[in-house]
Order: sequence, then structure tokens, then C-alpha cells
Amino acid sequence: MLALLDAWLLAPFEYGFMNRAAVAGLALSLAAPPLGVFLMLRGMSLIGDAMSHAILPGIALGFLFAGFSLPIMSLGGILSGLVVAVLAGSVSQMTGHREDSAMASFFLISLAAGVMLVSLGGSSVDLTHVLFGSVLAVDTTALLLITGIATLIVLMLAIIFRALVVECLDPLFLRGQGVRGGLVHGVFLGLVVLNLTAGFQTLGTLMAVGLMMLPATTARFWSQRLEGLIALAIVIALVANLGGLLLSFHLSLPSGPAIILTAGLAYVLSALFGRHNSLVARHRLRAAPLNTPSTD
Amino acid sequence: MARLTLQDLQLARGGQTVLEHLDGSFQDGAITALIGANGAGKSTLISALMGMLPPVAGRVACEVSRERCAWLPQQLALDLTFPMSVEELIMTGTWPSHGALKGYCAAHYRRGREIMARLGISHLAHRQLGELSGGQRQRALIGRTLMQEAELLLLDEPFANVDGETVEVMMEVLRDMAAAGATILVVLHDMEQLSRLADDVLLLAGGHGRWVGTEALLDHHTGQPARAPRLPIDFSDIHHAGTA
Repeated sequence: MLALLDAWLLAPFEYGFMNRAAVAGLALSLAAPPLGVFLMLRGMSLIGDAMSHAILPGIALGFLFAGFSLPIMSLGGILSGLVVAVLAGSVSQMTGHREDSAMASFFLISLAAGVMLVSLGGSSVDLTHVLFGSVLAVDTTALLLITGIATLIVLMLAIIFRALVVECLDPLFLRGQGVRGGLVHGVFLGLVVLNLTAGFQTLGTLMAVGLMMLPATTARFWSQRLEGLIALAIVIALVANLGGLLLSFHLSLPSGPAIILTAGLAYVLSALFGRHNSLVARHRLRAAPLNTPSTD
Repeated sequence: MARLTLQDLQLARGGQTVLEHLDGSFQDGAITALIGANGAGKSTLISALMGMLPPVAGRVACEVSRERCAWLPQQLALDLTFPMSVEELIMTGTWPSHGALKGYCAAHYRRGREIMARLGISHLAHRQLGELSGGQRQRALIGRTLMQEAELLLLDEPFANVDGETVEVMMEVLRDMAAAGATILVVLHDMEQLSRLADDVLLLAGGHGRWVGTEALLDHHTGQPARAPRLPIDFSDIHHAGTA
């Protein structure tokens, strides 16, 4: 039995690439889920998805200029993500259109431009790598970059945490206190872009969103407190990362999708059996209406 | 003494003038009721007082420091699905002294508990805002302004959709705050509440403002609060209107 456990759970980590992949996953699991929790609570769950398209042209340009150089590609991604976010915000302010329609337009343009650029300069293998990542090809430079960005995100989030919470609940209060809500929002979106660029090497630009959003939406079925949501989302992300990695190792599956599908499985199970608002919990409430949380 | 004065103020929304030639001062330690029909410019004036709507002409002179200005929004402005407990909401009132980074100390938590006890919501300290009734939520929000030690308080229809007991508690708190020297401005519709609460009344109608005493709003025949202010009021002498 122990031998079996050892073969399944520990032996894979004797390989260097698995170790690096696990550490990268650990770093991303600490940084991404808290951002996802805030995106979800602000009703911006799809913004992460849109942002992941926005970083693509920059990554593609970096790739065209410097080949597979992660720092250059990440820098390009960060810049193009920020440019698109600012452009979308400005267009919405100037035209009076809702921000989501401006964002949707820019992100679709970005995706098309990004795919076009990668195709011009590389093969379809390169495109697949950028879009879906390769967690098992993380080298030491990539690892340093990923852990560095993750640390920066956690620190920055700690600094803006209270302002972000107040801004989510009552933006006018913050404005009354002389803090520009737009600034907090901007820094937050900047962190989302940073996180996606850290994640694209391992999970790809499209899958990196999964590690941000799925643990957050899963945690919503188990906790109704902010701290609880964040802690739980991190744990879910950690488990999904390690679980997905091991599955991909043993069953020869692509690692990015394996990690995200593991998180997806947690989401489906939680939607069915979670403590709050899951199908089972709702059924229980109907059966015992007098014990529902009081709304008086 | 008045730390908040209006000087020939003109306000507009979407290129359309809403209020003009607004003068007068809000007395310290007094509760001023802001009344008027829907669309008369009450919320526009509040926005301007909060510094969120720049005047077209004239100015709002406010000597109260920005962080001691509090505003009790209509509850619709809050995202009540956001997970936050009553105690956490009240503690955010420490922003003027603590800002975004400084940790709360025991004394502040103690003060938070005192505020909750005074508002009768101690038992709700750890409940989420989304689980509360309108009245309970309103008490929590006024708790935040107490924590903030607000010296200028603006309230936009604070008693709408609120139970009678909460109205009583809140009136008492507002009276105490005024007695301690705070300047309070409250948008009201209910004449009975107005007559009990307000020391002064600013009536907005037809794009102008008129300071009227609370007794002007009593019914001539019964001596009881009139059901609605008698409109229209003659504004022909508006430029000579006193500053209450």
C-alpha cells in the first residue's frame, strides 16, 4: 500500500521538471485565487477571460522579437494587457458605452491580432504552446519569474486589500475619503494582468484564467465569508495543481487541461453538494424553511 | 457658526441647469432637512456638497475636513452580495485615522462594540450585510458614520424602507450627533419625521432653494405637520432670501 502511494504521489517528484512544475503551480495557487475571488464578487468573472486575450498580442510580439524568451514575452503580455485595459476604459468613458462592450471589442481584436502574429512568426506548435502552455517545460528562469510575480501579487494585494474591500461594497465611501476608486480598480486589474502573464508559461494564456476563477467559484459553495473564500480557493487551487500534475504524469495527459479539469471537477461536485446554494443545500432549505437564515 | 455654506451656487446635470442662485449656510450642531418634489435637485445638491459634482457657478464652502464628511447612501448604492459582516462594516469607519494599511487595535474594536450596543445591533455583529433587513442595515451604516466621528453628515432618505424602531434609534443618534456639534443634512419626505427632527429646512422647487422654518410646514388649521409642503412657493424675492 505504502509502496503504491509512494509510486503514485512521491516518485514523480524525483524528476526535476515535475518539481519545478509543482513549485510554479504552488506559487500560482497562492496568487491567482484571491484575485479570482475579488473578480467573482465584483461580478467580473469574465473579465479574466477577456484579459487573457488582451495579453496575447504582446506575448506574440515578444515571441517574434526574442523567440521563446519568457521574460520578454511576459513583458510584452503585461504591456499589451495594460494598454488594452486602459483603452477599453477610455473608450467607454468617451463614448458613454458600457465598459463591458468596449472591453469585449478590444479583447476580440487582441485575440485575433495575437493569433495572427504568432502564426506569422512561428508554427502551429508555437501557437499551441502560447495558448495552452506547457507546465512540464518550466525552466529555472521561468520558475524565478513566476514565483517573483506571484510574490509581488500577494504583497500588492495585501497593501490594497482594505481599499479593495471597501471599494467593492461602497465605492462612494472611499471616494468621500479622498481615495480614487479608479486607482484601486486600476491596480487590481494590473495585478490580474500580471497574474495571467505569470500563468501563461505553465497553463497557457487561455488556461491561466481557469486557475484564477474556478477555485473562487468553487469556494463560493462552501463559504460566505471573504477570508473563508480566499483561504478555500487557495487550497482548492493547490490540490487541483498537484492532482492535475500527477494525473498528467501517470496517464500521459496534457498538464494544463488536467489541472484545470481537476479544478472543474471540484466545481461540479461543489455545485451539487456544497454547503451554500448548491443543489443539495437548496433542496434542504426547501424541506426546512423555518431554519433558513433569518432575513428580518 | 456655519462650516458649510453655499454661495450663489448653480448646478447642472447633463447640460441642464437643475438649481441656481442657491445661497445660505448650514448651521453647526443643527439638523437641516432638505425637501422638495422628485427631480427638484435634492440628490444633485447632495452630490455637489460631497464634492462629486463641480458647480457651474458659485461655490460650496466647506471647512470640515474631507475625511470627517460622511454620507449615508441609499441602500441601492451598496453591493449587498459582497461578503462583509456588520462589525467589519463599522470598522471601515476608522478610515480617517487608519487608512488602508494600519491595523485595528483593541480600543477600536471596543469602540465598535459600544457603537453596536448603542444601535441595538450587538447580536448581529458577525452577520453578513446581505442577511439583514433594511432597518438593521441602516443601523449598521449609521454605525460606520459614528465610527468615522463624522462632523458633516449627509443622509439621503435615511428612513425609507426602515422599521419604526430603527427610525426612533436613528433619530436619537442624529440628535446626539448634532448636540455634539455635527452639521447634519437629511433628505426627507415625511413631514411628521421632519417636524420631529429638523431644526431648519431648505426647500427646493423650480430650480431655486428657499430656507423656511419648520413651523412654515405645519398645517394652518390643525397645527399638525402638513402632509406635504405647500407648493408652489413664491420665489420672486429669491435674491433677497435670508440665510436662515
